[in-house]
Amino acid sequence: MTADARGAVRSVWHEAFTLPLVFLSAALLGGLRIDAGGGLAFVPPPLFALVLAVMLIAALYRCGAFDPTRLFHPRRTGLAKASGAMIVVALAAAAAQMMAALTPEEGLFALAFDIVWLVLFGNTLAARPNRARLLSSLLVMFGAAFVVKFILLGALYAPDASVTKRVVMALVEGVSLGTLGYSPPGPATGYVTFATGLLFLAGIAALPHGPEPGAGDALVRVVPGDVVVVPDQRLDRGL
Amino acid sequence: MTATLLAERSWRSASAIRVAGLVVAATYAVFIVWVYAAQPRTLREVRGGVAASIGVYRIDAAAFDEGLRYFRTDRFAEARRAFARADPAQRDARTQYYIAYAFLREGWGRVYSDDALYRQADVALQRAQAATSDGVVRVDDPELTLKTSDEMAEALARGLRRDASDLNPLSMLEKRP
Repeated sequence: MTADARGAVRSVWHEAFTLPLVFLSAALLGGLRIDAGGGLAFVPPPLFALVLAVMLIAALYRCGAFDPTRLFHPRRTGLAKASGAMIVVALAAAAAQMMAALTPEEGLFALAFDIVWLVLFGNTLAARPNRARLLSSLLVMFGAAFVVKFILLGALYAPDASVTKRVVMALVEGVSLGTLGYSPPGPATGYVTFATGLLFLAGIAALPHGPEPGAGDALVRVVPGDVVVVPDQRLDRGL
Repeated sequence: MTATLLAERSWRSASAIRVAGLVVAATYAVFIVWVYAAQPRTLREVRGGVAASIGVYRIDAAAFDEGLRYFRTDRFAEARRAFARADPAQRDARTQYYIAYAFLREGWGRVYSDDALYRQADVALQRAQAATSDGVVRVDDPELTLKTSDEMAEALARGLRRDASDLNPLSMLEKRP
């Protein structure tokens, strides 16, 4: 088998198995909540998480991290398009569950998180960074949300006085939580969400993007952001 | 000619991979939808639910028989523990029916019925009904007064209802269900 053929088969495996299974796993685990007693609950995403998921996918598309035409272009067979559709559905489900997993489930904190997500995604859509910058930005956004929800708020509202709680309380000395209610998720939920977040980000990084392999080099290629790239040196030589 | 053959074989191989991938992903997606709909509380329930959905779930017969022995000697708490051990995934209609019956008999009294135990009986009865295809449980046990889920549901509803019949002294002569 030639190197090209091997690459093509690998790409088919990637589309048929890796991406759908990664995103479906993220969709499954993103809604998993484990209470202190070890009881499981599978929480479907709230409506606002669906809105945020659409914004996230739009940002992935606008920034070139996800190119749907790679999955649905007319030269592909029906089976290949069905594989592509499975990836898109799994990506949407995973994105909704990730947003829900990283956002407090109710109360004022949920509202605050939702507003921040909305502003951040709106800003990302407007700024249209390139793929690498978007992936870095998502890593920071998801990481920050994880730290605030599971470490800071989790420690502040934990029933026992942990070291983290004492440190946070010392830092915000004089500030009272008053009647601001929050139910911290069980500790195991944090570990599951952390692993799910990494899985989801890995899946996003592995999404098909850029020109299709073997599609040939264009003389002039326009990429999102109106940047014109001229990869063919013949143009430079005036041929 | 060789190139054409190779291309043909590669196309077939790609199609086979895609079909397999779609089947695996669709099965996984169905499992996820089931998990979110069924809301299993433990990994045992997840395993039991999957086993039941493909028709290979079996209860622990020895634990069930043990539960039945406790049940017949009115040791209801012990009976429920044994039944729970027999049906850890809570997917067997007959076992769940006996658990409901154990709550019902323990909660039943000549003068009043224990509402908390009756409610737990109702929850177990709902699990039993959910485990059947037609929503009705029938248990052919001569020692039971209530042999169907409909009869038990009505007995529980009567026990939980507050009305003038509660003051009827003749109700003290009723037989234990």
